[in-house]
Amino acid sequence: MIETFLIVTAALALVTYAIRNIMVSHGLVFAYFIFLSYLGYYKWQHVGEHSSEYFFSDYLGVIFMAVLIVVSFSSALHYINFAKSREVPPSDAALHNAGTIFFTGAITGVLFSAHFGVLWAFVEATTIGASVLIYHNRNHESLEATWKYLFVCSIGIAIAFAGILFLGMASQEVGSEDITYTGVKAMAGKMNPGWLKACFLLIVTGFSVKMGLVPLFNVDIDAKDASPSQVGASLSSVLMNAGFVSIYRFYDAFSATSIVSWMNTLLIITGVSSLFFAAVYSLRVRNIKRLFAYSSMEHASLAIIAFACGGVGYFAAILHLIMHSLTKSSLFFQVSQMHRIYNTKWDEGIGSYLKINPMGGLVILLGFLSIIGLPPSGLFISEVMMVQALVINNLWWLAVVIIGLVLVIVYGLATRMLGILFINKHNRDMNIRGASVWESAVQLTLILLVFYIGLFRPAVVVDTIKLAIQSLPH
Amino acid sequence: MLNFAVIVFIISLIYIAKVEMIRTYIGLLAFQGFLLFIIAYLELVEIDILHLSFILLETLVFKALFVPVLFLRIVRYKNHRNNTGPVKGYYSVFIATLIVAASFMVAHQLHYENLQVKYFTAAIASIFVGLFLAINHRDILTHLTSYMVIENGIFLLSLALGSEMPMFVNAAILLDIFTSVLIMGIFFNRLKDYFQNTEIGTLSKLKD
Repeated sequence: MIETFLIVTAALALVTYAIRNIMVSHGLVFAYFIFLSYLGYYKWQHVGEHSSEYFFSDYLGVIFMAVLIVVSFSSALHYINFAKSREVPPSDAALHNAGTIFFTGAITGVLFSAHFGVLWAFVEATTIGASVLIYHNRNHESLEATWKYLFVCSIGIAIAFAGILFLGMASQEVGSEDITYTGVKAMAGKMNPGWLKACFLLIVTGFSVKMGLVPLFNVDIDAKDASPSQVGASLSSVLMNAGFVSIYRFYDAFSATSIVSWMNTLLIITGVSSLFFAAVYSLRVRNIKRLFAYSSMEHASLAIIAFACGGVGYFAAILHLIMHSLTKSSLFFQVSQMHRIYNTKWDEGIGSYLKINPMGGLVILLGFLSIIGLPPSGLFISEVMMVQALVINNLWWLAVVIIGLVLVIVYGLATRMLGILFINKHNRDMNIRGASVWESAVQLTLILLVFYIGLFRPAVVVDTIKLAIQSLPH
Repeated sequence: MLNFAVIVFIISLIYIAKVEMIRTYIGLLAFQGFLLFIIAYLELVEIDILHLSFILLETLVFKALFVPVLFLRIVRYKNHRNNTGPVKGYYSVFIATLIVAASFMVAHQLHYENLQVKYFTAAIASIFVGLFLAINHRDILTHLTSYMVIENGIFLLSLALGSEMPMFVNAAILLDIFTSVLIMGIFFNRLKDYFQNTEIGTLSKLKD
């Protein structure tokens, strides 16, 4: 099934690129996402099955596939409005839609890869798809961001490939040439811990560019800033999740070995240093898109720290990524509308948003409350569980440091967001006619979904996450 | 012959650190691609026609021919001088030599049966010399070249560690790298047309 899906992805991306009628092009993207939804349903029905040596289905893949479907549909809806309001030329729209299909197909490949070499190939493919999307605006900023993203991602992914080669050698030493996820998991206990450590270190370093963590986070921030907001939403949500899944697969495969505590330490160091950078920059940035990009870095850090704590932290990490994906994509979608009204993305030119566009202002207000983790947001639940995981591991001091850094970020966000919503700022370039109530409907729905999950904790979400993490050590 | 090819590859790494003319970089990349083909061909004694074709495609066609020709087209045959960073001339040679020496010492310290010390030395040296080039140079084309030097190191690393992957995976990996280089080439052209030069300082608009 997934093999057919990937062939359709490649073919449809080419066809979409060739078509110059914008409505047909958008229609093809929606047709593709309907197929994507069917694949998601199919994968859910066939969890635990391998479709070949290279692909399989598990609960973790299904969870993030559901997020991919929701975000992709919302993003495609926004792009229709974006292309219309900005009068995007048909050739640019065709390239964007083809890039969207390719990028989504690559993310799907990452989620369901059963072979570490194939996983690597799909992660690299996301770089190619993302580059096309980031370049959309064709100006100085987008050109600069695309070049940096492409170059640094390629270096990062090459480093990750060196990690896979170390894994291959460790595997050969124990008489196996199998570097599939299940094959490595079965043999990892016998493998040389030194090679496994080298592998994991290189994987975390290389894939940090996808998750937006230290050391290769800068290009990710630039990409979210210079690309259209709906692309920033995808980079902050589904691509970040794909980066997490990539690291998760290696972690899970090595989790029954003696290096598990070493891996946890490495992830905590990565997470805390990323959180530190996010806190420092959150106080400095005046550009709203960059502010949201650093906020994404904060949440990636929190998820990876929670994951490294183990136990309840595993659950918290996955729940956190789901909730963050929905909230952050809403905020990015709303920024697109805000940019059209104020003709700027700098906070000094944006004010009284709640008065000018009440529905959009409500989205920003609720999104802000959700992203800082106030109840009833689902992020509140995951953050409380993360602190709980730290305390269970006797890491009180670390919990204090993390809470301190998070409070700095909350302060940075609050000063900008409240200013945008309530303070009257003089802006001559403003175009109030650009706002429509319906344009904010999708964002509001996503944020209300985050609140619903936070309040009622639906069994399907809780049980699926529990099933996804059952193979990890508790 | 095999040892000779590996030694020449390592010498080419030291030389590339000193080079200033863009066309010499491109020539060295083609030469390294050719050397990699010889090394892979001699190393893999029992090789079937499918694997041989694949190695031929990856080294001779892609690394020794396609990439250098693409880069030459990009610079449009102008032999412009690369604007180096803070470390220049023989200081660069010194640093590259240090990298090679350190790589040899690391490889020699690792006593593993399956590890090929000579390849491991060349691979690690190639990766770090590539990173050094990327950090030290200010010209965007040199950054592309440094990426290819790193990729050459990764190719040698796969020989050093003897980790083989199924043909499907190898093909997917090669296709990805090929597309990345092609897209980087396209964007390089856009950058050159837009900014009228390839100095990395022009890419500094995105700031916090």
